[in-house]
Amino acid sequence: MASTLPALAIPGQRLGPVASYSAGPGTHVQQSNVYASIAGPVVVDPAQPGSKAKATLSVSRSIRAPGTGNVVKPVTTSAGAKPAATSAPPKPKLKYNTLPTVDSVVLARVTRVQKRQATVSILVVLDDPASTQGVNPSQTASDNDNIEAILSSAANPENHSSSDELRFQALIRKEDVRAVEKDRVVMDEMFRVGDIVRGTVISLGDQSFYYLTTARNDLGVVMARSEAGNMMFPVSWKEMRDSATGQAELRKVARPF
Amino acid sequence: MPLDTSTTYPLTKLRLDGRRWNELRLLQAQISTNPASSGSSFLAMGNTTILCSVHGPAEGRRGDATGGAAGSSGAVVEVDVNVAGFAGVDRKRRAGGSDKQSSRIATTLRAAFQSHLHTYLYPHSTISIHVSVLSADGSLLAAAINACTLALVDAGIPMPGLLCGCTAGMSGSASTPRDPRNDELDPLLDLSLPEEQELPFLTVGTTTSVPVGENAMDDGEEDMKVSMLNMDSKVHCTYVETMLAVGIDGCKQIREILEGVIKGSSQSR
Repeated sequence: MASTLPALAIPGQRLGPVASYSAGPGTHVQQSNVYASIAGPVVVDPAQPGSKAKATLSVSRSIRAPGTGNVVKPVTTSAGAKPAATSAPPKPKLKYNTLPTVDSVVLARVTRVQKRQATVSILVVLDDPASTQGVNPSQTASDNDNIEAILSSAANPENHSSSDELRFQALIRKEDVRAVEKDRVVMDEMFRVGDIVRGTVISLGDQSFYYLTTARNDLGVVMARSEAGNMMFPVSWKEMRDSATGQAELRKVARPF
Repeated sequence: MPLDTSTTYPLTKLRLDGRRWNELRLLQAQISTNPASSGSSFLAMGNTTILCSVHGPAEGRRGDATGGAAGSSGAVVEVDVNVAGFAGVDRKRRAGGSDKQSSRIATTLRAAFQSHLHTYLYPHSTISIHVSVLSADGSLLAAAINACTLALVDAGIPMPGLLCGCTAGMSGSASTPRDPRNDELDPLLDLSLPEEQELPFLTVGTTTSVPVGENAMDDGEEDMKVSMLNMDSKVHCTYVETMLAVGIDGCKQIREILEGVIKGSSQSR
């Protein structure tokens, strides 16, 4: 069987036998063949040399590598060929549709603060929970392409409701805000409407809400505006300060990297 | 002589719009036409023109019956079909609601795509498809299927293959058993509205099927699997096989066109 891979896959196109490839994102296996299930460039992730694992085939949604504007060069190695050269260029981030799952790190905007819980809407799901510890949100890839635009459109009350209503809703309960002194948490001193919060999903919840927690040092408010409307910078784990007026406000602050 | 296909076709072997029996109308399509949606497409099959946009997979609406327990194993597909008042020959003013024709198309599309897409990847979510018929000139359901497929591909929703639709009819009433020695009726591909109104026709939707066993080894072209079949008119059962074969062949042609559209727009993106 010819094992040259097409540069662009179309749903239903056969990419190769499962004997030589394992199926990655954007593909499915049927009748012991790997098929594309979305349209996009085919990417071969060669197996670690020496390990028994097979090369992973995946189909990405992005055509351009972010930033460079170059077309992602699809890898067209044959099944038996040796893995691509080790000095590969920095791997462009590929886009996939991402849904929040348990343990995934998300960025969310606070939409409502109540006595026992805060309601947030999930803006971005950071892919690959293992590698997100030091990741800057603008480099992560999810299908919500324009992350800068999502985050900066914060305090716009008119399109606020319409765009946020469409996103996944989540709750941060009072006892999930921080790990210590859980019973002394006052929600008003932790979050304010419009804050951007980094949290992890602890439960898929019921049909209407995911459940998030911020009970870790690196989780909490990452971006906030003061009452005067200026950006604030973190000064301690529970305080942020307005850069213009110098006024301090209380927040559950995420540890800056 | 009235100008209709069943009287002119036996004489000229040409249909009202000048096509032969096995010719498709001009099929033009674009994808990513509406940047506000997750995926969108514009498709014109002859004078039938359809805009389709896909939103999602997104969280289902709260308090919605389909957003509840039904969606826990996979995404729920919602289809909304709107035939514009100016789409037909006579301008209709409707009281907002959907008529019988568009709700039937919506039901068929929903059933077809709910089972076709890999919905298990998106539990608790809704994929909503909005189809707007701008101009209706026959083969509405088939054109809507093709438009939806393109929009879903644009939205990046995983599916086992492209779902392509096409209509096929007979060039006469075909109400008596077929006479193999004296075959005066021809099957017709891709019917237009005047043909649909006078002739029996069916709509077939196919996807690529997976070669099984022996065939899996050779790299020949993949054959088609019928995943949707709809027929509203009466025809003698001896003709169904012919119509189906012609329809499936039309789907194959349409699939090649759609693949070209997807490849073309992926490269220019």
